[in-house]
Amino acid sequence: MSGVGQPAVRMSDVRLERPHFQLGPLDLEVPAGFVTAIVGPNSSGKSTTFRLMLDLTKPDAGTIELLGTRIGCGKQPELLRRIGYLPEEPYRHDNAIRGVDKAEFRRNWYPGWDVNYYRELLHLFEVDPSLKLGSMSKGMRRKFDLALALAHRPDLLLLDEPSSGLDPIAWRTMIGLLHRHMESGERTILIATHIVEEVKRLADYIVFMVNGKVLGMYEKDELLTGWHQYFFPGSCEEWRGVLSGMPGLEGLEDTGGIVRAVTGSAREAEEWLAARDIRPVGRKAMDLDDILAELVEREKSGKIQRTKGVTR
Amino acid sequence: MWMSIQLNEYSAEPLYHQIEVQLRALIVSGQLSEGAMLPSIREMAQQLKCSVITIRRVYQDLEAEGLIVTRQGTGTFVAKVDPEERSRHRLEAVIEAMREAVAAGLRVQCSDDELRELFEKVLREAKANRSPPEESGHAEIGKGDEG
Repeated sequence: MSGVGQPAVRMSDVRLERPHFQLGPLDLEVPAGFVTAIVGPNSSGKSTTFRLMLDLTKPDAGTIELLGTRIGCGKQPELLRRIGYLPEEPYRHDNAIRGVDKAEFRRNWYPGWDVNYYRELLHLFEVDPSLKLGSMSKGMRRKFDLALALAHRPDLLLLDEPSSGLDPIAWRTMIGLLHRHMESGERTILIATHIVEEVKRLADYIVFMVNGKVLGMYEKDELLTGWHQYFFPGSCEEWRGVLSGMPGLEGLEDTGGIVRAVTGSAREAEEWLAARDIRPVGRKAMDLDDILAELVEREKSGKIQRTKGVTR
Repeated sequence: MWMSIQLNEYSAEPLYHQIEVQLRALIVSGQLSEGAMLPSIREMAQQLKCSVITIRRVYQDLEAEGLIVTRQGTGTFVAKVDPEERSRHRLEAVIEAMREAVAAGLRVQCSDDELRELFEKVLREAKANRSPPEESGHAEIGKGDEG
């Protein structure tokens, strides 16, 4: 597994201004050899970011590099052949053609196309490629498009909400296939999702994106073990002073006789509490969506510089 | 290959540490025998739902301790553990589990005597439930295809 060296994607100071939306300035480095999940609420700019990477939308400013090649300098078929892309919505203009014809086209375009692997994917996903793409159910179309994105074994795989429309069985199949895709250790997946379980099962790194901005990039396991909540009996007034020095404290909340304290540095907080012999009546690790909510809250209240203790 | 490694989501203990302690215990206790092939980094990450960064760190640490060896292109295998090393590590996982148990007790304000009593009770129960000593608890592991 390499992991070191140049990132698979590098975005520097990328900006895009639209009357109703502003993206950036975006600075993002997606490490090669890992699965990175972009997590964020709807319309936070995830899909636009993918479109910018693929040169489908031009930025107003900034530079983008994929696999070491700067994009936006004319047609780059060699680069595109090393990339797999599953857009959020299927291409409607493909609706009239049959799956087999679409696959035939892709086979000619991608030298790395692996017919046997493609067949296996269709078999695993139980897709009938003789159907017209427009006649496939939403789930089948998604599975077919996933098979197309994987069949040339791209070095960089960009997946935009891949599981939308998939049933739980197909979802499991997809997770397994993506792990298999990563087995060699050199490939990179960038996946936009808001499904917590998907991030848990797949991601190595997590990028939080809200309102067209990157809130931060974290190692998944450090993030998930770093954020904990502790419960204390009483009211916020009683505890505010006592807990004010607790490491990583994000906030206190009254939940009816029990105070909930959130920290982004659980390990340090635990030691701190133990040293003062303060015993919470309960504690719990936080889920990804809770953490995202806290980070959004922090962004809103302008405390964004206080990211210490989370990033490490 | 399935590994009997259990992660405590409620612990603030870093995942790599939890995994390292348990994997080390599997090796030094002999449950994973010399030459057994470990899952690839990605497989292990998938199984434990953690990142490859964590697993890589665990493998690197255990390799530095001489408990496992990575052969380029083939995989990662359990190394020969010398008896001295074995006895040194034998109790580590036990101590870790005890710490957890004591912490759980302290969280609900158990007194020292209560904790001791509980320990004796649980020990008696465990012995009563397990009359003949078993050969080994988890024999499922370590059957990786070698060669």
